[in-house]
Amino acid sequence: MMEKMIFGRYVPADSTVHKMDPRSKLLIIFLFVCIIFLANNWITYALIGVYTFYMLGMSRIPVRFLYGGLKPVLWLVLFTLILQLLFTKEGNLLVEWGPIKIYEEGVRQGVFISLRFFFLILMTSLLTLTTSPIEITDGLETLLNPLKKIHFPVHEMALMMSISLRFIPTLMQETDKIMKAQMARGVEFSSGPFKERIKAVIPLLIPLFVSSFKRAEELAVAMEARGYRGGEGRTKYRQLSWKAADTLQLVVLAILTILLFLLRA
Amino acid sequence: MKEMKKLSVMAYVSIGMLSSIAYLLMLLNFPLPLFPNFLFVDFSDIPALLAALIFGPVAGVLVEFLKNLLNYFATGSPTGVPVGHIANFLAGIVFVLPTYFVYNKLKSKKGMTIALITGSITMAIVMSILNYAFILPAYTVLMGFPDMRNLVVPAILPFNILKGVMMSLIFMLLFVRMQTWITKFSTVKNA
Repeated sequence: MMEKMIFGRYVPADSTVHKMDPRSKLLIIFLFVCIIFLANNWITYALIGVYTFYMLGMSRIPVRFLYGGLKPVLWLVLFTLILQLLFTKEGNLLVEWGPIKIYEEGVRQGVFISLRFFFLILMTSLLTLTTSPIEITDGLETLLNPLKKIHFPVHEMALMMSISLRFIPTLMQETDKIMKAQMARGVEFSSGPFKERIKAVIPLLIPLFVSSFKRAEELAVAMEARGYRGGEGRTKYRQLSWKAADTLQLVVLAILTILLFLLRA
Repeated sequence: MKEMKKLSVMAYVSIGMLSSIAYLLMLLNFPLPLFPNFLFVDFSDIPALLAALIFGPVAGVLVEFLKNLLNYFATGSPTGVPVGHIANFLAGIVFVLPTYFVYNKLKSKKGMTIALITGSITMAIVMSILNYAFILPAYTVLMGFPDMRNLVVPAILPFNILKGVMMSLIFMLLFVRMQTWITKFSTVKNA
């Protein structure tokens, strides 16, 4: 159970996408999520598909990792597809089988929406598969920096996010340890009546909260002892560098956007 | 946002930690029997409520926000625009904030019970309205689902009430054991 909870499915590799600046990757994903809604016919969906596979190919991520990202939504996709097939009643009648009638428009809509799901999930997976969580946080912090002008605490948000990311594995181990300790005392987490299982959460949560506050206190003291005083004038260990490849990929995305505008119905 | 500047380093670090716990609890979600299985219960609002009680309402909102942000990056969203995450964030806020404000007025075990009931009722009502007005239509637009607004009264409202009751029960059980500890922590929060 603990295996699949590991945050960040980051797969280190030596590829163009891995080497790209996290800022450009975040921008590309954000814009991709916006422009995918422009697609509304076969050509535009095919274009989006070509682009998605072009990015995936460049990232050299093994297929099984991509499948891992898709697996949780497969049922949702299937569900939506069936819903579309059964409830859209436009276009020519294709199949009639007792009370079930499938129309042309239903097939079209169903396929389009499923494709959109797949492309969206694949592209967001691409971000988390090729970018380490710490890079994502750094990228977000730099991208959102202009918001400091309106007194949005960008640095503090990034700090909390990186602390959170850092402690997910630690707290997961902690949870595992507490669960085993409680199981040794006879607590049942995975069987027994619903009410008992809910109650079993309490002896799990209390030690978890107490120990995480202890950790927080230690970390806060350590940070203050080392002179942490917020984001003002702070220098960075990891420097982000915008390269030619980043600009190139944004240009490719811009071309895709223009093509989508020209070819959409 | 001015309030944020006043939070101490200890508060930032604790909010980070509580968000990790909330993120983990969010992964341990489960559907309730008899309800459509896109409605999930998880206990990730409990760390947010704890954060609000100790470090103030902004901290509670931050835990809700970070938890959803992490989850969005970890799992992605098939709708592109993360409708589910936004809904979860709003549900968390309308549960945590009323609970916090009522408890702050009463400050006792009985006060906490009243606060949690208020929180659950607010969440159930506000989420029903939001579902009717924004969330379900958004799913209809983005995922091509048929109009599901007729689900509000038979599913969304009772589901949120049940979710509120479950969270209240768990939080109450936690609270009676941790009350002294929570008050101790909240008095030193800005030290």
